[in-house]
Amino acid sequence: MEDYKFLFKVVLVGNAGVGKTCLVRRFTQGLFPPGQGATIGVDFMIKTVEVDGEKVKLQIWDTAGQERFRSITQSYYRSAHALILVYDISCQPTFDCLPDWLREIEEYANNKVLRILVGNKTDREDREIPRHIGEDFAQRHGMYFLETSAKEAENVERLFMEIAVELMEQAKCKELPKYDGSLGPINGKTTSVGDGSCCLRS
Amino acid sequence: MSLSLLLEKYDVSTDEGLQKALNDIEKEEAEVDEALSGVLSRACSLEGRLRAASQAYTKLNDVKTDSQIAADMVEKTAGLARDVSAKVRQLDLARSRVAECQRRVHDLIDLQLCSAGVEAAIKAHDYETGAGHVSRFLSMDPGSVAAARARGAPDPRDAMTRAANTLREHLVRKFEEAARKEDEPSIERLFKLFPQIGRAEEGVDLLAKYLATQAEAAIRRACIVSDARSEAAVFADAVTRVVEAGGAALERARRAAAAAAPGLLHRALLAIQPAVCAGIRRIAGELVAARRLSQDPARGLSSALSAEPVLAELALTHSRISLYFSFLRRKAEVDAAPLKEAEKKASKDAVEKIIAECDLMRTAQEILGYYLALERYFLEESVNKALKLATPQVGVTTSSLVDDVFFIARKVIRRAVSAGSVDGACCVLNEVSAQLERAAGALRRWLRAPPHEPLPLGAPREARAAPDPDLVAARLLYLAHMAEAEAGADWAERLATEACGAAGVLARTAAEREKVASCAAGLGGAAAAFRAAQDLALAALTAALTPKLQAWALHLVDTANTEDMEDDADALPQALEQLTEAARAAISSRSVEALLQAALGELAARAEAAMLTGRYDRAAALRVERRARRLAAWAGGAAAGRERCARLTQAAALLALDAPQHARDALGPAPRMPAPRAKDILARRIDFKMEDIKRLKL
Repeated sequence: MEDYKFLFKVVLVGNAGVGKTCLVRRFTQGLFPPGQGATIGVDFMIKTVEVDGEKVKLQIWDTAGQERFRSITQSYYRSAHALILVYDISCQPTFDCLPDWLREIEEYANNKVLRILVGNKTDREDREIPRHIGEDFAQRHGMYFLETSAKEAENVERLFMEIAVELMEQAKCKELPKYDGSLGPINGKTTSVGDGSCCLRS
Repeated sequence: MSLSLLLEKYDVSTDEGLQKALNDIEKEEAEVDEALSGVLSRACSLEGRLRAASQAYTKLNDVKTDSQIAADMVEKTAGLARDVSAKVRQLDLARSRVAECQRRVHDLIDLQLCSAGVEAAIKAHDYETGAGHVSRFLSMDPGSVAAARARGAPDPRDAMTRAANTLREHLVRKFEEAARKEDEPSIERLFKLFPQIGRAEEGVDLLAKYLATQAEAAIRRACIVSDARSEAAVFADAVTRVVEAGGAALERARRAAAAAAPGLLHRALLAIQPAVCAGIRRIAGELVAARRLSQDPARGLSSALSAEPVLAELALTHSRISLYFSFLRRKAEVDAAPLKEAEKKASKDAVEKIIAECDLMRTAQEILGYYLALERYFLEESVNKALKLATPQVGVTTSSLVDDVFFIARKVIRRAVSAGSVDGACCVLNEVSAQLERAAGALRRWLRAPPHEPLPLGAPREARAAPDPDLVAARLLYLAHMAEAEAGADWAERLATEACGAAGVLARTAAEREKVASCAAGLGGAAAAFRAAQDLALAALTAALTPKLQAWALHLVDTANTEDMEDDADALPQALEQLTEAARAAISSRSVEALLQAALGELAARAEAAMLTGRYDRAAALRVERRARRLAAWAGGAAAGRERCARLTQAAALLALDAPQHARDALGPAPRMPAPRAKDILARRIDFKMEDIKRLKL
């Protein structure tokens, strides 16, 4: 058996080309591979991090953004502990699609899943979506918010570490039921992410 | 001794002194004489040695002269050898120069012949000879040509290159003509010449172009689906025909090029692939239209049942395409086998790139998308139906929810694996896990609310009334659901192992294998959900038995006299036996065991507690002990059962003692009852004296 105390599934979704794979690569391998091809189906990476001296294994599912892979990617929502919804701050259409993605999340994901909105590519000069717009959107939909740059390694480590910390707190709160099929009401102690006041500040 | 010393030592002025000195002198003289004679005696032998030495010296002189001569000879020999090897070197050099000269002379002669020969061969349509000349020219030492030019001859390469180009143009023209005429022998013949004139790639391109045209025609014929509305997998068949035609063309190109130009398969593929892509794109379009596929399958179909043939067809179609891709990879591997590592990798990468970027790959992904959406719909609908059928109803006593759900799950997983995509299999495993958890959730909901007395346990001293048949049915159904929860957990685990094995075969890399394993682990989550439902039911059953168990506990420690002692003592084991039988008929022996453990534990604990509230005379105590012993005997079948009853038996034995003093013996070995509790029990006897009990040392 591997040596870890918690295992969390983190799923990245968002339009094609917003930099999901680059975020994952930057975090898991410390690389920024330029000229990255489009992801086929779903890619799967693992990284073990340490939170408060405890080993936390993050299973990161990097989904394809293209429409024809939707059937595949949707099947990973349900078992996710955290969903990272990524858009490109220099590409308005990727931001405009967010409501569609949210609808999908509502439909397929566990309603208690930790949701994080990420505006990627802050290294780009041609920003189209101001930071506060993204922040507002996240707040309205009860999501955490963070802007990142996979290229400059900005906020990437922080994004995943905050997720690990938050998930571990949640897990400790409910002592992580053995299986997560309890879609019905669990006790009321689970950390709510719905009140918008808990946006990450960067 | 010197004279001065003698003079100092003795007083020579006196006779006596002189005499002493003389004596000393005489003594010394004698000593010196002795020594001298000794030396003289050695002189002889020394002389002999000197003679021998002088003889040896003369001999050494001879040796010196000899060795000097030898040294001179060695030196001369070395000088000679040096001269010889220098000459040999010169000879070698001379020979190699001669060889080079000869080659150049040959080359120069050939060069003239070649350029003239090519022209002649073209005129005579003898392309083989022409190509042979060009091949000879290409293999020529560039130095020869340079040397020829250096001597002021006109550059022979110009003429040769011109000739070679003319030959190439001729070959291309001839090849195209042959291709138009579909003159296969000529094509084969001409294709073989291209590698000889150093144009292997052009040859492969031309051949591939020809084969692509041929394949295109074949594919156009293969695309035609005559009866689109047929339920048989007509579109999958059409796809098979198309990829077969493409594969055959590629294999021909590979065979033709294998000997002379390996590692060029990607060039052939580049020419042939578009025809395959276009053909399958067309079929896929028709397939989507004819089968009314959409990302939301609920709209297009009337029932899950009607989805099945379409699902099979989609899986088959996708599987055919992925087989075609594996065929390409395998052929690329074979084709590049004779090359060096770096070239091999470059060639395989080139094929991989074409596969990744071709339209067929996108079509395959779209087909997989449609397949998965429909499969999800089918799975959901089928599980919905199974859940509806299994929903508890009045009068229904059996349930086949788990059987149904797992039958569907297995079928769906098998089909997904047969489609040949790791991502597809993973996706279906995820969906199956979700549906299994749904089924487990339903069982959990039903098991949370047990019917009244789900298992029959008679009350003490009470005749059993025939129960309401509806209630009996409800009880049976409840137990059936419990058995299902247990079976579900086992099934889910087995399914996970099966799926891992089956889908693992599809995985080409370690990462893909891990992905499959991780998705299959999701089924483990479903197993846990079923197990939780089972545990819930077990707890509910124990809880439902509690009031009766309490009654039996009170009965066990009851002081009242009864008429028939035997019947009285056997009543509880009998009731428990009935309970066990009823349970065995409905749930697994593992669950029965767990249930009995819980029930016996509860009963023993309650009985012991109740014992501490009664007052007993010896007769009543004996009755209690008898009942406890019978219970222990009944429970004794299993080790765990014996353990649960051991304390109660001990307590009953204490209660039924003749005298408190015997208590020490009555207390069994481990688990030994604590002394204060033992004394409490003894105190319940009205005929024991308190002082005796207090005095006891336990």
